[in-house]
Amino acid sequence: MRNNGCFILLGTLALIFVASSLAEGDGGHITVAFGAEPTQVDPTRTSAGVDGYFIGLFYEQLLGTTPELERVNWLAEAWQVTQQGAKTIISVSIRRGVKFHNGDELTAHDFRYAYQRQSDPASRQAGRLRYVDDVEVLDDYHFNMILSQPDASLISLNLDLFAIPRKYYQAVGDDGVQAHPIGTGPWKFVSRKPREELVVERFDDYWNQDLKPKAKRLTIKIIPEDTTRVAAFKTGAVDWIDAVPPAQLEEFKSTPGVVVASRPAPNNLYIAMIAIDPTNPLANVKVRLAIAHAVDFDAIIEYILYGQGIRTAQLAPGTIGYEASLKPYPYDPDKARQLLAAAGYKRGINVPCYNLTTPREPYIKEMGEAMFAYLGVVGIRCRIVQLEYGAWINLVRVNARPVMDGIVSTMWGHGLPGDPTDAWSGHVHTSGDGWGTYSYHSDPELDDMIKQLRTTMDLKRQEELIRAVARVKHERVAGGIPTYRPLITFAWSDRIEFKPWPGAFWRAMREIGLRE
Amino acid sequence: MRQYIYKRLWQGAIAIVGALFIVFIAQRLSGDPVALLLPMDATEEDFAAMRVELGLDRPFVVQFGLFFSDAVRGDFGDSYLWNQPAMSLLLDRLPATLELALAGLVFAILLAVPLGVLSAAYRGGWIDNTAKLFAMLGQAMPGFWVGLLLIVVIAVKLQWLPAYGRGTLAHLILPAIALGWYPVAAMTRTLRSSMLDILESDYIRMERAVGIPERLIIWRYALRNAAVPLVTMIGVYFANMLGGAFVIEVVFAWPGVGRTVVEAVFARDFPVVQAGVVLASVVFVVVNLIVDLSYGFIDPRIRHD
Amino acid sequence: MTDITRDAEITTTEGQSGFPFIAATVLTIVVVCAAFGPWLAPHAADAISLRDAMTPPAWEEGGESGFLLGTDNLGRDILSRIIAGARVSVVIAAYAILLSGGIGAALGMIAGYFGGVPDSIISRLIDVQMSVPSLPLALLFASVLPPGEGMVILVIVMTYWTWYARIVRGEVLSLRERDFIALAKVAGVSTPIIFIRHLTPNILNTMLVLATLQFGSVIVFEAGLSFLGLGIQPPQVSWGGMLSDGRNFIEVAWWLITIPGIAIMASCLASNILGDWLRDTFDPVRRQL
Repeated sequence: MRNNGCFILLGTLALIFVASSLAEGDGGHITVAFGAEPTQVDPTRTSAGVDGYFIGLFYEQLLGTTPELERVNWLAEAWQVTQQGAKTIISVSIRRGVKFHNGDELTAHDFRYAYQRQSDPASRQAGRLRYVDDVEVLDDYHFNMILSQPDASLISLNLDLFAIPRKYYQAVGDDGVQAHPIGTGPWKFVSRKPREELVVERFDDYWNQDLKPKAKRLTIKIIPEDTTRVAAFKTGAVDWIDAVPPAQLEEFKSTPGVVVASRPAPNNLYIAMIAIDPTNPLANVKVRLAIAHAVDFDAIIEYILYGQGIRTAQLAPGTIGYEASLKPYPYDPDKARQLLAAAGYKRGINVPCYNLTTPREPYIKEMGEAMFAYLGVVGIRCRIVQLEYGAWINLVRVNARPVMDGIVSTMWGHGLPGDPTDAWSGHVHTSGDGWGTYSYHSDPELDDMIKQLRTTMDLKRQEELIRAVARVKHERVAGGIPTYRPLITFAWSDRIEFKPWPGAFWRAMREIGLRE
Repeated sequence: MRQYIYKRLWQGAIAIVGALFIVFIAQRLSGDPVALLLPMDATEEDFAAMRVELGLDRPFVVQFGLFFSDAVRGDFGDSYLWNQPAMSLLLDRLPATLELALAGLVFAILLAVPLGVLSAAYRGGWIDNTAKLFAMLGQAMPGFWVGLLLIVVIAVKLQWLPAYGRGTLAHLILPAIALGWYPVAAMTRTLRSSMLDILESDYIRMERAVGIPERLIIWRYALRNAAVPLVTMIGVYFANMLGGAFVIEVVFAWPGVGRTVVEAVFARDFPVVQAGVVLASVVFVVVNLIVDLSYGFIDPRIRHD
Repeated sequence: MTDITRDAEITTTEGQSGFPFIAATVLTIVVVCAAFGPWLAPHAADAISLRDAMTPPAWEEGGESGFLLGTDNLGRDILSRIIAGARVSVVIAAYAILLSGGIGAALGMIAGYFGGVPDSIISRLIDVQMSVPSLPLALLFASVLPPGEGMVILVIVMTYWTWYARIVRGEVLSLRERDFIALAKVAGVSTPIIFIRHLTPNILNTMLVLATLQFGSVIVFEAGLSFLGLGIQPPQVSWGGMLSDGRNFIEVAWWLITIPGIAIMASCLASNILGDWLRDTFDPVRRQL
């Protein structure tokens, strides 16, 4: 009896030994830390940029973007746009043999189901598909997206539809999906403790064997506090962190054994102004122009962000329709004062100023405070209201203009490379029917131009129209004052290999593995 | 004894009802409890349904009754950030908070007992003064500040202990220090003064006369008796630690109730906030009740207090 | 940050020691800063100067004499902000102490003097209030009321009135039995007069001790709330808010979290030491306080 016990013990130990050595050879286990956490793991229910952080691990779309920011076919093998009478048709043929994590094969029916879910108002993103009347399945591998009018921004959104397993979704329901997301992506779900960690495992049947992650397992810790996240990295508790605090960038760069990479965030920061009420001083273009000249954004980028920002006039380089000749409003407090006086506000104005804060954007709170302090210097006196990200998302989710007035430090996000169409339809067009921040501006001419932009399918024409809108928008200080596009910095220990992929705000975790 | 138990149970029940009433009042203070409890994208039907559920058109007493009957069933609404019932979300995180509070208490006791004993034994000497200063510092330094300093020095500069998260014993040490230092002052003083009483008692004098070594007298005979007032307060300290843990959890990214509630405040996830306050109160009352009752059994003298 | 109320149980160290000059000086400095801050501060507390951002304190390498305690990441002068923060702390503490002391003492006196039904109602109220830990309570109010000074004061008053009420009740309970009260009653002195003439003067010492001790814990409490972002809101300056702003730069600019922390610690320590001394002086016999 005693001997048997010994054997069992030895056998178990041997098994553990073998198992652990196998695990080593399997690409190993990597632990990383994210500064922010999504509230959603269902791609048909996302509403905030941060939600992409996990979705990018599990789910894929018809088109994709390479690290060099080229748009390529992903789950779509081919697609083309045709015009049939009043209808615009996007015909898609999808890749064969793509498997979901549960073994089901991806078919065109899944995309139709995704269309139904994503265009449901409960999805909070239905607006993106507003011109798609239907998705018509031709056979298992072919379907048509039937549009009531052309809409090039759909292409920028990678045709928007997500590959979700219809049968699984229908079987487990919304709560089931939240508890265990299943997609076609390179990582499959293992476990999640909200506010703590997400554990995922490499999907060995992933269709794109070239881009299968090297690591076997990935644990994503959630550490919003900069100090603690950095400490976790320095003490070796995690091998990779996002959002390296700009103040510590130099230190990270000079630390041996640490690799650092910065990428432009798919996010444009701007100052929104509630200009829709004609009695509001902000409805006066001179006041808006005064604001634009009152803040020294070059100094803010240099001293607060440690250079981790790309100053924008309207759009950042690389965005569709970027125009280098459009220059940011120069910092000129005297001019700002004059403009304010010319607008009839010699003694300045008092305004509520909303300061959006989120752990995702480094030093955004300080940036906002500095911005408002600059405004105070020229006589635009701010009553600061802190607006935390969660609360802000709740505000912009409302199906009506949020109840705010004044100046808002805010941002709009997009995919990479950026396309402002959807965002502008949201916050520049009067009716604000794009996704995201609601419009505080009304300018019939701009409305018309944006309408044209929204209804073209011609990519060249799209680019021209974006340039045209940007110019008018700049001249009239319409739809807010763009400020900068942040850079996100990742750091990892040279124990691992990593290459940032643009999905999920460069956190797609495609090429990651232990260094041999 | 039985009467004492009934009395304490009755007091505990009143305290919890009172806590619920405070939460209820806070809910109404906001002006529109419906907007507070529903996500921003709730439909008009949701609003109407919630209004009926809360009984907003009915008398105030009925409204509290409705709130109360939901509350005793643990129903404080769903967290719209996490898509699950608020109370179950917090109960999942309660063990982490209890663990932290317990660790803080252990740290406090480990520090307070030697400090209290030594400062009584060497009354007026440098040990007494140092112990006093040390204990007072703990009372004056905000726990979250101690936590930040510990992270910089111990975790980042010296790399002796992990800076964040939960898991091993090593993870517990820094948050436990940050949390546990505060009550050291009060504990030390309690122990010191009861030690002084005991050390001057006839009983100890007799033992001295018999020739028992001073060290033995202090650490064995005197401490055993002097610890009683301290022990009776441990429940109170533990319950206080639970409240204090709310900030420490934020500093150390500790996945407990406090951090969840703090985040819920920012995300305007009110169901979680109200469930958190009620949970904290219930734990507080229950811990104190258990402690009181068990002492009542151990030491009948306390009952009459 | 933990509940301070229950520490009222602590028994004091005995014996009378000399007047704590250092503690009194520290508190005087804090109060002077609060009263005359705008005239004392070398800079405006919210004036930013990005080019001077992250200047270390003057004695450090790279420091500048114009910024004695250095600057923060927006180039705001730390010394001026500490002075401005003192004002916020003192104002909040003053309101909180007056209100919680007033309410607590009044209820404590009623409970202790009349006993019976008023006593059991007030005692239950105290029990209820004490069963809601103060920080969760603060979070509750922070999520329904606009954040700021008013909210902070409300939460502090709700937490601390029990402290005064319990101790005053105890004092009055024993005062009631004393001859001079009994004599006054026999002489037909009306109850309000007994309260004002006979009870109040006798609890004043106790109140002063409690208020001094409370000053320190209010400062720590307010700092905690502001640290979480739920207390004082920018652009108003508070020490807790400064700590919260500085925590992201803990490794690159030690002064951002050290200096406000020291300000909090010093004020709290000073008020505790002074409070202890007052207690010993007023009543050298060890007693429950």
